[in-house]
Amino acid sequence: MMNLELAKKLLQKGIEIAQEMETTCSIALVDENGWLVALHRMKGAPSPTAEIARDKAWTAAVFRRPSSEVAAYGDPKASGSGLNTQNWNDRLTTIAGGIPIWDGDLMIGAIGACGATPEEDVSLCQKIIEGVRSK
Amino acid sequence: MNQLTLEQALKMLEAAERWARDIAEVPCSIAVVDKAGAIIAVHRMDGAAMATTDIAIEKAWTAVAFKMPTLMGSRWLDPRNIGKLLGDHAMGMIGRGKGRLCFIPGGIPITNEDNELIGAIGCSGVPSGVGDISDTSVSQAGVTALYE
Repeated sequence: MMNLELAKKLLQKGIEIAQEMETTCSIALVDENGWLVALHRMKGAPSPTAEIARDKAWTAAVFRRPSSEVAAYGDPKASGSGLNTQNWNDRLTTIAGGIPIWDGDLMIGAIGACGATPEEDVSLCQKIIEGVRSK
Repeated sequence: MNQLTLEQALKMLEAAERWARDIAEVPCSIAVVDKAGAIIAVHRMDGAAMATTDIAIEKAWTAVAFKMPTLMGSRWLDPRNIGKLLGDHAMGMIGRGKGRLCFIPGGIPITNEDNELIGAIGCSGVPSGVGDISDTSVSQAGVTALYE
């Protein structure tokens, strides 16, 4: 399960990686139900990035898949389409950069990053998760 | 010191968390915002209720927006003030700020050496807002750590 200790470890790792990538960003960690556990905004990252990072992490946690894949639910050709913010809550986002964190079959939480391009945000998230797993 | 850095915010959070854990013995959420009210760092301690993160952020935001501790704002909204000029005007605060105003004690503005506002810290989760063991004292522990 996501706890503050793990969240701090992931954030510390994340900020190191972001500095290596020469980018500034916000990183958010949420628990398995999408509730915020920890959020850090690096110096120089624009202020909205904090909320967007949290939105991405929330989306990844509640749908249990990367935030970029959630857009598929809104495909008019797919059954049950009609995904919009009114149906859910105002945190829903389909921007890439939110990734659930799995411990085997169990989802323990999710991470969201915002500040660079969506591709860089995704690779930052993946590096953070891998970096901590390998320890 | 013109603006708070992430390192300074984390130093404050660390001290506030230690205070909450060791002295108040209550898990809580603590948030630090910059002088524009934008989040720099938020931590929710293990066991703290999930709604406390948003309340901590709102308290810090309100402390910046009014350049004063939320404890003072909570005094305005005291029902005993109804009927007096101050109280009647303060009731108009309810629902302002796009719903972000939060006049629960626990948010404290942070000033630099020149007494300029550089940010705020907010805490939520301790049952009492006022007193020795309260949201306010957790936030104060954070502010104290900044100047050490």
